[in-house]
Amino acid sequence: MLREAFPCLHQQVNGKPLVYFDNAATAMRPQVVIDAVTDYYCHHNANIHRGVHCLSGRATDLYEQARASLARLINAPSPDNLIFVRGCTEGVNLVAQTFVRERLQPGDEILISHLEHHSNIVPWQIVCQQTGAKLKVIPMNDQGELVLDNFDTLMTERTKFMSVVHVSNALGTINPVKELVQKAHAKNIPVMIDGAQATPHLKVDVQDIGCDFYTVSGHKMYGPTGSGVLYGKAEHLDAMPPYHGGGEMISKVTFEESIYNKVPAKFEAGTPNIAGGIGLGAAAEFIMDVGINTITEREDVLKKYTEQALQGIDGLRILGQAQHKSPVFSFLIDGIHPHDIGTIIDHHGVAIRTGHHCTMPIFQFFDVPGSCRASLAFYNTEQEVDILVESLNQAKAMFA
Amino acid sequence: MSDLNKLYKQQVLEHNKNPKNYGQPAHWTHHAEGLNAICGDQVHVYLTIQDNTIEAAHFAGDSCAISMASASMMTELITGQSTFDALHLFASFKQMMSPEGLPDAEHILGPVACLVSVKKFPSRIKSALLCWYALNAALNGQATATTE
Repeated sequence: MLREAFPCLHQQVNGKPLVYFDNAATAMRPQVVIDAVTDYYCHHNANIHRGVHCLSGRATDLYEQARASLARLINAPSPDNLIFVRGCTEGVNLVAQTFVRERLQPGDEILISHLEHHSNIVPWQIVCQQTGAKLKVIPMNDQGELVLDNFDTLMTERTKFMSVVHVSNALGTINPVKELVQKAHAKNIPVMIDGAQATPHLKVDVQDIGCDFYTVSGHKMYGPTGSGVLYGKAEHLDAMPPYHGGGEMISKVTFEESIYNKVPAKFEAGTPNIAGGIGLGAAAEFIMDVGINTITEREDVLKKYTEQALQGIDGLRILGQAQHKSPVFSFLIDGIHPHDIGTIIDHHGVAIRTGHHCTMPIFQFFDVPGSCRASLAFYNTEQEVDILVESLNQAKAMFA
Repeated sequence: MSDLNKLYKQQVLEHNKNPKNYGQPAHWTHHAEGLNAICGDQVHVYLTIQDNTIEAAHFAGDSCAISMASASMMTELITGQSTFDALHLFASFKQMMSPEGLPDAEHILGPVACLVSVKKFPSRIKSALLCWYALNAALNGQATATTE
């Protein structure tokens, strides 16, 4: 059974079997990912792209094979379309500073959505401060879906870039990214998609979506923390200036000038997270071995089961009930603060997230300070959902 | 009694359900907002101080049971105290919640000492401390406080 592949799931917490429902914060890693990281450190430990010795060659091969695996996972035209980054946050900042910033004049606009994680808000606010541009926001409705009725009017001749989340980490909403990209491209607006919560759960095909940039977070998709990739169209990556200066990103340096390396090395200054990149490649292979459709189908079953189970609890309100969503449930229970719920059910071995989940504007919309969030993955079980429900009922009884 | 039941003891649940001195008063002389943005706890502390004595203490805001109970008990404890004694109580509460602890906490802090059980839940200590830091801020003329 696939669950057996994830060693960290098999333990007791507070004397109870762990029920891990915090996958949207970070997923568990399968043994093959842990083994890939260990294998690099145990057998191939060397710096990449710069040694003539055997180990350096092996480490370089493993790192570049990982890039190729990730390219296959998201159907990028070539591994060279992928830049290794620390995660989606770095991917967004990189694009904001090297692609978008130089295109902006005072009064220009950047379009994001109400569903964004802070990491797809703050980098744009910074670039707005630097340039005098303005941030505009695609609104959402009570179901947690984007309201696209006036989308065409939101995009003006001043709109120079759009960056939208694929799957909301707080509510689970799956956005119609292909449709958004088509509409934006019709007005010559380049688009970035934040895919942090998409690759663990959905088939992602960057060429089908048609976006200009797409960010992937390693640790959300069963890979190591501090790893990720940024996909970019080749013509953009070729034209963009470097993000960080340093070793590896140059082909020649004198005191007068430096000539930059070709893409993707141009964006990968310094010794990278080699083990993390190799582990992330193993995670991509793991997803492809299991089959992303198998994952999505299993999660759909779990999602329906969980939704029904939670709706059976009196006084529980689910925030965000989009028609298309991943197995993420933000909820509130009358009369009990989310933090108290989190503490009580942790005592029963159930790990959820409480708070605003780095999406404060979503909770400003619902006029609450935060929520409880149970975020599931394909390795979770119906029995674990039953334990969640039982522990929530215990919390209710305690506060009755 | 389990640690969880000690944390959510009857006293805490009762203060959470029916908090004392809750709500923004019509008048006050000193105010500060305690805000733990990451966890979402918010406690406004309102003091009416005359001749260095806290004549009235109120609190308002939206926060977890631990934070609500702590604020409710704190306002009861400091009402009628001198500002100097209130600062001393703040220091005592902080010490009780620190690893070193406060010997004779019940003698110094009275019913508030029951919150020592929060120490078994390290992630919740900041909830219990928030109102006290807001009190300290209000007494020192600062507008905001946080324990994150």
